[in-house]
Amino acid sequence: MNRTIFIDKDKCVGCYSCIVACKLEHSLPPEPVKPPLGNPTGPNLIRVYQVGPQIHDDEVHQYFLPIPCLHCLDAPCIKACPRSALYKDNDTGITLIDEDKCIGCKFCLWVCPYGAPQFYDGRMYLCDLCIHRIGEERQKGRQTACEAACPARAIHVGTTAEISALIGEKAAERAGKEKSI
Amino acid sequence: MQPDKAVITTTCKSCHGGCGVLATVENGKITHIEGNPDSSTRGTMCAKGLASFQEVYNPNRILYPMKRKGDRGEGKWERISWEEALETVAGKIKGSIKKYGAGSVAICQGTGRGYNRYTFRFARSIGTPNIGVPADFCYGPRLAVFGTTVGGRLYCDYHGWGGEYPKTQISWGKQLEITNADGEMAVWFLNSLDKAEHLILIDPRATRLAGRADLWLQVRPGTDAALALGMLNVIINEGLYDRDFVQNWTYGFEKLRERVQEYPPAKVAEITWIPADKIIKAARILATEKPGCIQIGESLEAGNNSIQTLRAIVCLMAVTGNIERPGSMINWVPPDTGPLEEFAMEVPAPEEPAIGADQFKLLSSPPMAMAHMHTIFKQLREGASQIRVMHLQGTNPLVAYPNTKEVKEGLLNAEFLSAADLYMSPTVEYADIVLPAAHWLESDDIHDMHPRFIIGAIHKVVDPPGEAWPDNKIYNELGKRLAPEYWFDNVEEMLNYQLRKANITWKEFTGMGFLAKMGKEQPYYKYKTDYWQKGGGFATNTGKVELYSTVMEKLGYDPLPYYLEPNESPYSTPELAKEYPFILSTGGRSPYYFHSQYRQVPWLRERQPYPIVQIHPETAGSLGIKNGDWVWIETPRGKIKQVAEVFAGIDPGVVVAQASWWYPEDPGPDHGIWKSSANVLTRNDPPFDPAMGSATFRALLCKIYKVEDE
Repeated sequence: MNRTIFIDKDKCVGCYSCIVACKLEHSLPPEPVKPPLGNPTGPNLIRVYQVGPQIHDDEVHQYFLPIPCLHCLDAPCIKACPRSALYKDNDTGITLIDEDKCIGCKFCLWVCPYGAPQFYDGRMYLCDLCIHRIGEERQKGRQTACEAACPARAIHVGTTAEISALIGEKAAERAGKEKSI
Repeated sequence: MQPDKAVITTTCKSCHGGCGVLATVENGKITHIEGNPDSSTRGTMCAKGLASFQEVYNPNRILYPMKRKGDRGEGKWERISWEEALETVAGKIKGSIKKYGAGSVAICQGTGRGYNRYTFRFARSIGTPNIGVPADFCYGPRLAVFGTTVGGRLYCDYHGWGGEYPKTQISWGKQLEITNADGEMAVWFLNSLDKAEHLILIDPRATRLAGRADLWLQVRPGTDAALALGMLNVIINEGLYDRDFVQNWTYGFEKLRERVQEYPPAKVAEITWIPADKIIKAARILATEKPGCIQIGESLEAGNNSIQTLRAIVCLMAVTGNIERPGSMINWVPPDTGPLEEFAMEVPAPEEPAIGADQFKLLSSPPMAMAHMHTIFKQLREGASQIRVMHLQGTNPLVAYPNTKEVKEGLLNAEFLSAADLYMSPTVEYADIVLPAAHWLESDDIHDMHPRFIIGAIHKVVDPPGEAWPDNKIYNELGKRLAPEYWFDNVEEMLNYQLRKANITWKEFTGMGFLAKMGKEQPYYKYKTDYWQKGGGFATNTGKVELYSTVMEKLGYDPLPYYLEPNESPYSTPELAKEYPFILSTGGRSPYYFHSQYRQVPWLRERQPYPIVQIHPETAGSLGIKNGDWVWIETPRGKIKQVAEVFAGIDPGVVVAQASWWYPEDPGPDHGIWKSSANVLTRNDPPFDPAMGSATFRALLCKIYKVEDE
């Protein structure tokens, strides 16, 4: 069953929990050092972008959009990789990386519409939709670390059928409500 | 060999805290933390809480008790035993009490972290009234106003236990969505927001929820009291108030009606810079689209009129009947333990008044009498100080209090300073004795930051590094040396004692995870029952919500709310405004930091390495400032630099700088406070709030200009 992630931009408040939850889940750099670094860096498998605020006719337009790898069905990164280091997991459709094959050429980054591939300290990092947590009985079905941590419930991960149903329900709810905040 | 693996339930304390946590421990080391889905916070956690993982194994932690060698701030330390450290601190306190009286000792902590009750109990047990906390500008005003006006503490009812969620929500000078501040949790708020019909945002900036709000009232910093009074004017004059509640359950309505006549919407629009039609619209929504609740931010407290600002807002809640009804503002019934702060309050308060009590009578009123820190620093600075010894437990005055230069002069004049902390902060660098504190993942305690419907078990997950001790143990061991009758054989005994009314032990509590009064156990409309008063009523002098405050009247303050122009503004100090033309708020906050904490945590610092000052595009353009430029921000107290964010959601005449910055990587002892800490700019001069002594952080005047040559 294909798995996917859905970001509800109307709900995200830009608290950035997802970013740190992901770093913790995947033990990502940077590590604490002594003395601390003023500008530590590391890969971020989910990034959050702030759009706005723009103010038109007294209306504020502003939203926050977390962007991980979207695990495209027809993934350009897989096609672009000269070493076939990127591949699809058969069961879930999640795009994964074979670190032994990756040469760090960054073609995948050039072709990715979302800037998802991350390069740090000579290796490539990519969101794996927390594939290791699939089937684990924790967090009441919220599978990924980012989904579990999100206090705004702006991140949803599931099969494409599940996400389709969720978006449909949201649309129906909106239709029945005059004003949504 | 099978790894020794366990998942331990605990409670986060990375901000005021309260999120349920599951911590995985393998072979004695934490390998993972995440939210506990079976807690009131439903498995969610924030960036700060999750990054705690990097605090437990952070090599910058203080590991051992140390005493100063060489001069203060020279950075030379000698490792000593806990025995020697405690004997020294206790000896200095004892000596000072003997020579100068108990009031010569100040027991200080920073923002509330759930060990408040130990700080207060410790101070009372040694007989000093001088509890030094940032209460005058953070939460103290709310406590004082809720207490005097409604006889309790109001929280927003986000939970739906009474069958209704708030229909109208006001977020006033607060960003609960990226914090878990002051007894509320972001996840509760955001969940209830999905069920609300109106969101009114009152803030000088288009903060994160501005895009979702029906109405954004872009208030001029420091003028919120005028806005609240203007809304009261509309509600009362249009007859939109809750007649039943006003008639039966409030005191002084006619006097309030008279007072608010001074604040017609047109005049309030001039004061606040909010168009009158928006003020009228907001007032009508709050009064007619019920139930509603108002989330009050600390911003409203950090100014010269904190008490009357909050009084006006509580009056808004009262006249609209948004108190104690489901979906409005509620005084929570505590869990079966009773309010845990009784642990502090049961120790008799000293008769000697706290420093500042002669002036700021609400700050120093029982039961939570506190000292006025700005006066303490002033006395120390001027060399005629009552305070000789200061114990600083988890507080960083060199970053947290206004006018850093003068705070430092004062602090250095204290005869003896002891400090307990996780890291060598700019303040700890000047201590005489340093005590290593344990992180919440290394401590056993009961989480009860703000007395509310729930307490949580903070369960030690791993041993602290080196010889660090939990805050409660530090207080208990110091207490045993100074006032043994009030302290305990060990921490477990102390925790058992605090849980006794619920008939559970600490061990049993850790198995439960939390204790709460939720759902049907949480009653509403308690003023119609015998809960506070036989036959009904609120726990106030008149038994009613006091729109006209008998307490304020008795203390010699105006019993009715009023507006006061900020100490510095284009209107109150037009001459100063010629040189310093912009209104400055130092209220900027980041989702990655809690006050002065976490700049040494890489997962957080990576996200935001430097402080940000928000400037309107027109203003930035006229000053040649581009997004990402370092800019100087200057006030009569000093200048600092921060990174410009060119931000359309702010008035061109207002700039908002971020608070509480220091750079752990910069050389000690000051670690870069002069470079970027916003309190270099803030003012500690009178006039303070007359009743609370609040200093001004949110409505100052400044100039800004680009940093050249960097």
